[in-house]
Amino acid sequence: MAENKKVLVIGGGFSGLTAAVEAAEAGFETVIVEKTPFLGGRVTQLNKYFPKLCPPNCGLEINFKRIKNNADITFYTLAEVEKISGREGSYDVTIKISPRFVNDKCTGCNACNEACPVEMPNEFNFGMDKTKAAYITHNQAFPFKYVVDAKHCKGASCAKCVEACKYDAIHLDMKPETVTLNVGAVVLAAGWDLYDVTKLDILGGGQIKNVVTNMQMERLASPNGPTGGKILRPSDGKEVKNIAFVQCAGSRDENHLPYCSYICCMASLKQATYLREQYADSKARIFYIDIRTPGRYEQFYWKVKEDTNITLTKGKVAKLTEDPATGDVILVAEDVQAGKKITERFDMVVLAAGMVPSTKALKIPGEISYTDDGFVVPGTLKKGIYAVGSMKSPVDVSKSVQDATGTAIKTIQSARR
Amino acid sequence: MAEQVIKPDLNFINEVINGGGESMKKCFQCATCTVVCNVTPDDNPFPRKEMVWAQWGLKEKFIGNPDVWLCHQCNDCTAYCPRGAKPGEVLGAIRKQSIKQYSAPAALVNFVNSKAYIPIMFLLLAGLLSMAGTFKIHDGDIVFTKFASTQFLQIVFTPVLLFGIAVGVLGVKKFWADMKAATGVTSGDLKGSITETAKEILSHKKFTMCDVNADRFIAHFLVFYSFIALGIATALGVLYIDILHMESPFRLGYGTPVKLFGFIGAAGLFTGALLMINNRFKHSAKLGLGSYFDWLLITIVTVIMASGILAWITRLAGVAPVAYSIYFIHLVFVLSLFLYLPFSKLGHLFYRSAAICFMKYSGREKK
Repeated sequence: MAENKKVLVIGGGFSGLTAAVEAAEAGFETVIVEKTPFLGGRVTQLNKYFPKLCPPNCGLEINFKRIKNNADITFYTLAEVEKISGREGSYDVTIKISPRFVNDKCTGCNACNEACPVEMPNEFNFGMDKTKAAYITHNQAFPFKYVVDAKHCKGASCAKCVEACKYDAIHLDMKPETVTLNVGAVVLAAGWDLYDVTKLDILGGGQIKNVVTNMQMERLASPNGPTGGKILRPSDGKEVKNIAFVQCAGSRDENHLPYCSYICCMASLKQATYLREQYADSKARIFYIDIRTPGRYEQFYWKVKEDTNITLTKGKVAKLTEDPATGDVILVAEDVQAGKKITERFDMVVLAAGMVPSTKALKIPGEISYTDDGFVVPGTLKKGIYAVGSMKSPVDVSKSVQDATGTAIKTIQSARR
Repeated sequence: MAEQVIKPDLNFINEVINGGGESMKKCFQCATCTVVCNVTPDDNPFPRKEMVWAQWGLKEKFIGNPDVWLCHQCNDCTAYCPRGAKPGEVLGAIRKQSIKQYSAPAALVNFVNSKAYIPIMFLLLAGLLSMAGTFKIHDGDIVFTKFASTQFLQIVFTPVLLFGIAVGVLGVKKFWADMKAATGVTSGDLKGSITETAKEILSHKKFTMCDVNADRFIAHFLVFYSFIALGIATALGVLYIDILHMESPFRLGYGTPVKLFGFIGAAGLFTGALLMINNRFKHSAKLGLGSYFDWLLITIVTVIMASGILAWITRLAGVAPVAYSIYFIHLVFVLSLFLYLPFSKLGHLFYRSAAICFMKYSGREKK
């Protein structure tokens, strides 16, 4: 029998983690390459999963534990694959690892963060607050190891974090590294980005303060988010009592994303419950083309609909403006069932923005075919290379997990050839 | 809910599709169009409902419906349509059906708007003109009134114009009665509504509300007022010939009113027609190049403009055969404009005016 080769997983989000853990637990050495400084991907930014409404740590934590306890799993953060060549059973891979400037001695004491004089937009919270150049995304980040942002850090001339660190964990002279590997199989799990809402000119083009994206809404509701989980609107920190959701903000639109992003209807229904749970007198109104809650998710839709303070209106929102005096958002839509063009005022409006495969912007090296929308075309992949989750089409967490688990067995087969 | 029987008129669906509405089945009723439309009233707004009626072949819904005529084809809806269903173009195709409904005989609407018959229509008009046999190239300076006697031209042109107007007026009468029946509105301030409608049309107020195709305002404005100027020039010409018994008003000095109006009209029509064509191409990525129905009118307007200007230039240049040929073409196209008045896209002159007036009359004006 052939020797067991390694499995490479590109992307450390939920799909990638699942594929890696499943393959490793079957006895195969697995390497995860993650572009950001932390594992967990988009799921770490969520407040709750649908439809069970449990926090993302249920699921993430167990996977992190499986990684920690398994000597067969290696992961590189701040890492990108530069080259893939070869064939099934023997792919030569080059990985470039950018410096973290923080080593394993880091205890997560936060002293560097306090000492750092450089403020930068907090990308983890989609720019809704600031963080320091020496930072950690949140209290349950993995690895629980700070990072110094190369772009914003002023370098050796400042070095206040180095002085503040009692553990000799920060070294601003760390250099990029290159790692080469030979693997038997490759899993593409690069995940997704949110559609750029600045392109939605009639929906404010990202210029209206109290118009947020659905992912920003997750952060606003999350206990480790910028408001500590209290849903307050960005312009003045007012409690949000009257909210509107704009479905298909970019999706199902040939001018933007020609496909349905699959998750947004469930996400908005879920987010309506965030608000309703926090404020007893709050109201939510969801404007939709069609509510798409496939399969058993229909039950979640029925349940949310029972709440009389949640209204569902058929009609796509095609105009959002700001009332400069109050910061309120003025929304225009046609209430199709009533046959009326309505203008309504809301404290805050959430754009149910769509899902864009991250390979739309950043292609993975190698002979990989993409659709015009950036999705990987699975049938065209070389043997031994597999795409999972949102690489192929918009998909939710549970379907990603199923897909990645199934893919693990295929990688094992390839890694034994 | 009471049982409702839907009777789709498949023929109507096909006619709309073939008349420039080929994209209509793409509509998925999201209602983006009604929101981005700046000219629709808020109650029962258009064009979303028209899109589903057209898809389902509910022809009777369009009888006495002023909304399709209230649309000015800004195409803001088409620009933002997520499906490429082009509501603006579809409503244009529905308006063609509305013209057919009201401009009798409907067969003429078909003739005028059919690629197969249009050469025959123009040949017939040319034949009608040449039958009189007054066209003759004479010696000396080029004088168009010697080539074609004004008496003869009036015998042909006046009845044709009156026929066109009569068909339009009768159509409007029928349309008005249908609008009343469809809406249940039986009384209103007709005189006031007519005044307000005239103000709105003269100011081109609705065109200024377009966003994406804001440039349509100036194009339509120029063509509209140029035709008024040319109409005045023609009326003055008739005055000179019939009342003052002058041989040819075309040979008057350039400072005289008839010439002045003629020049303003020609310059305005030149700019306006070219802008219209340019706009069609400029927005073609999203709108498509438009239907035959659209292009027939644009072509007639452009040929009238070009042949008018060329006839003048070639007359000054003294190239008699060319000048007279071009002048003949000019006459044929002006005659076609008169005849097609209620049957082509130009029918909007009657029906859109009536629809705007009815909106004011019935109080369904945009708030």
